[in-house]
Amino acid sequence: MLTIRQNLMETIKGGNPDRFVNQYEFMELIMEAPMDLPLAPGPGTVVKNKWGITFSWPEGQIGSFPVHDDEHKVLKDVTNWKESVKAPSVFYTEEEWAPAIEHANSVDRNDKFVTAFCAPGIFEMTHHLMGIEDALMSLYEEPESMQELIDYVVEYELAYAKEVIDHIHPDALFHHDDWGSQISTFVSPAMFEEFLLPAYKKVYGFWKENGVELIVHHSDSYAATLVPFMIEMGVDIWQGAMTTNNVPELIKKYGGKISFMGDIDSGKVDHPNWSPEEIEKYVEIACKECGKLYFIPNLSQGLNIASFPGVYEETSAAIDRISKKMF
Amino acid sequence: MSKIAEVKAKVEAGKTKLVPGLVQEALDQGNAAEDILQAMVDSMGVVGDKFSTGEIFVPEMLIAAKAMSKGVEVLKPLMASDGASSLGTCVIGTVAGDLHDIGKNLVSMMIESAGFNMVDLGVDVPANGFVDAIKANENVTLVACSGLLTTTMPALKEAVETIKASGLTGFKVIVGGAPVTPEYAAEIGADGYAPDAGSAAVKSKELVTA
Repeated sequence: MLTIRQNLMETIKGGNPDRFVNQYEFMELIMEAPMDLPLAPGPGTVVKNKWGITFSWPEGQIGSFPVHDDEHKVLKDVTNWKESVKAPSVFYTEEEWAPAIEHANSVDRNDKFVTAFCAPGIFEMTHHLMGIEDALMSLYEEPESMQELIDYVVEYELAYAKEVIDHIHPDALFHHDDWGSQISTFVSPAMFEEFLLPAYKKVYGFWKENGVELIVHHSDSYAATLVPFMIEMGVDIWQGAMTTNNVPELIKKYGGKISFMGDIDSGKVDHPNWSPEEIEKYVEIACKECGKLYFIPNLSQGLNIASFPGVYEETSAAIDRISKKMF
Repeated sequence: MSKIAEVKAKVEAGKTKLVPGLVQEALDQGNAAEDILQAMVDSMGVVGDKFSTGEIFVPEMLIAAKAMSKGVEVLKPLMASDGASSLGTCVIGTVAGDLHDIGKNLVSMMIESAGFNMVDLGVDVPANGFVDAIKANENVTLVACSGLLTTTMPALKEAVETIKASGLTGFKVIVGGAPVTPEYAAEIGADGYAPDAGSAAVKSKELVTA
């Protein structure tokens, strides 16, 4: 039996995996690493992060949101971004790094990938700062300022990457940046190519030049038209690939250059009335249609969790069952 | 190219800085404000269609709507009503328990561009919030309810049922949002459904002029 890591590599290299890679099993996420997460910690909480962005998680909701009313918007005029936006320090004390280092050192790297986690992404940071409508319109109205802001975020990401690499020597990177809605990308492929492709080539190139073997990019959205750019920027696995992308077609077209992780939409199975039968149904459809190579069955959710207790675990169990049938 | 045609083209291209001047020039040439407005409404119809077919994306739609809004500002003092509101008032909101506003805002912009006066209730709107807004505003011809989560689909149903059971009349109810299907819209008693912002504008106009 292959180790989890070997099985992952066989899957994404077009070899001979002996079972489906089961969701996030290959990534040992080092979430203890000091970072500036774009999240309020739980329902009923409001936090301001180190960039000055306020995040609220209202009671009864399944996640947190950046707050963009006039009082809370960090960047009101992108042409003045240098006055409004100040990146926080990427330097943390050795004491702050200690739990992450301990976790990384405890991982059997023959079995799993020690994985660094980065969120928000570059595009997300622009709209967390100013609101998504302003961010999108600014790409048209103030492209020079937007380019400068993106470059500034890239410099921050590179500086943080260096710290992570120095402290935990990750084998993989799991990097978030949502690039679309369920049915479309937020920006055109041409605009993506102009603003975000060069930024990500720098960032992902840096991680890879410094020992990271695997880049996993999260975007739980439609992004099929961006796959050629994902390949160019160095993404090995696109996590969050929703069914709206026609993943089986993408595998036929791009398998071998990139792998796809998802095709089980969280919205369809992760709800208060979830059932094992419903999960089984969608897992089976995904696995049978996508096949054994270049595909990792997974909820589209951007972490190894679900919104409703039991859904993630039941999905994993269903994947194990279908592995036994198909391999 | 006539000045009105130029206004139309520049709205479609999202030239926010050029449109106000062109609208003024079109007025100076003797064009009626209503005709210039109609040209911009038509232009947004083209933008909506292109968005629905995937030819353009959210930034292009936002920037075109902003260009039109700048043009309407020039026309407003010259028009009997406050600009593009010939189709009546539309009350719009995202239903209770749901904080998603981007899709709702896009729909709001496109419906406004089609000729409605908008009353945006924001997000997390309780069912009776829609009813209160219908009572509080004049000439409400359309109520648009958005729900983006599978978990808030019951709230969408409750909103439509509450609006329909209120006894108020004179308006149609349109629903939309990622998990909503035409079948679900019909099942909960909505009068109309649209899959995206461009179609929402077309469908809204169709509903109130039928």
